[in-house]
Amino acid sequence: MKSTETKEQGRYLYCIARDNKQTSFGKIGIEDSEVYTIPSNELIAVVHDCEAKAYDSKDEEKVKQWIKQHENVIEKAQEKFKTVVPLSFDVIIKGENASKEVANWLQAEKERLERNLEKVKGKQEFGVQISWDIAIIGEKLSKEKEEIKNLVNKTEKAPRGKAYFIKQKIKKALKQEIGKLAGEKFKQFYLEIKKHCHDIKVEKNKRIEEKQMLMNLSCLIEKNKVELFGKELDKINKLEGFSVRFTGPWPPYSFVT
Amino acid sequence: MRCGKKMEPTREKNVTLVDVLDRALNKGLLINADLIISVADIPLIGVNLKAAIAGMETMLEYGMMKDWDEALRAIAREERAKQIAKEEKIIVPLKLKG
Repeated sequence: MKSTETKEQGRYLYCIARDNKQTSFGKIGIEDSEVYTIPSNELIAVVHDCEAKAYDSKDEEKVKQWIKQHENVIEKAQEKFKTVVPLSFDVIIKGENASKEVANWLQAEKERLERNLEKVKGKQEFGVQISWDIAIIGEKLSKEKEEIKNLVNKTEKAPRGKAYFIKQKIKKALKQEIGKLAGEKFKQFYLEIKKHCHDIKVEKNKRIEEKQMLMNLSCLIEKNKVELFGKELDKINKLEGFSVRFTGPWPPYSFVT
Repeated sequence: MRCGKKMEPTREKNVTLVDVLDRALNKGLLINADLIISVADIPLIGVNLKAAIAGMETMLEYGMMKDWDEALRAIAREERAKQIAKEEKIIVPLKLKG
């Protein structure tokens, strides 16, 4: 039997938007929960009713499903309200009257929420990941750089023992050149990309699709600048040895605080 | 220069799941209050995502600086600081006038 010791309930929060009435979204939430809005003083929270405990599971597929549903609700809310402040996964407000707690919280945090809404209004978040092919870049460098070119020529004539020694030298010179180039390219791309962004975040490099990532950015872009932004990325994507992964639009997860 | 060509962003579900997970787990608004439960630290997914982070083996094979990631981020910070300094320079005199 289920314990009824605690009268606490929870409201799972998806996102915040500007509106002033209760709206129902139907059963589109996590585990098909009924999603609706709680209004308070010109702001609404998109929520579903849940127990006063966090969603947690050892089943990875289940968690992925939850997160996809979390994202989906935010997208639906975004279609309706245009501008939303997305919450992180698994944020739940609890209380004996949880809906009231949510309304109180909206009231208490109004200034901060308004500031976030204003910041992301009319803009979209995109992910930009630039990878490079070290093999191509390395080969290019060894043809361009005199020092490396000379060493390569030397190995061709050298006896085996000496050739090994020279190869180590090549490796060392290459790593130096690659490091230098990485810094240069990072700066160059970063500045080119930043021109088109309202705001930009440098994220940790990750491995996606087995490529060597040079930079990982989250970009907040005004809707009417997205096309120009795509053109800028296309230029980088066409450079030999470089490739750009361009994803979005996302709810502005990276630009709310 | 080539004109008219542009990249289109992708949101294809099977390509971008990792982006969704990363954003919803590590980003988004968080709130601090006693009446809030906020976990967002699902162990299994957390571990797998972390494993996917910073696969720089090939770089390290070339013996690049260990703090490469940090170094690049430092460049970005530097640029940002310059930007802010520039903005402040503009704002401050205006304030003084008032």
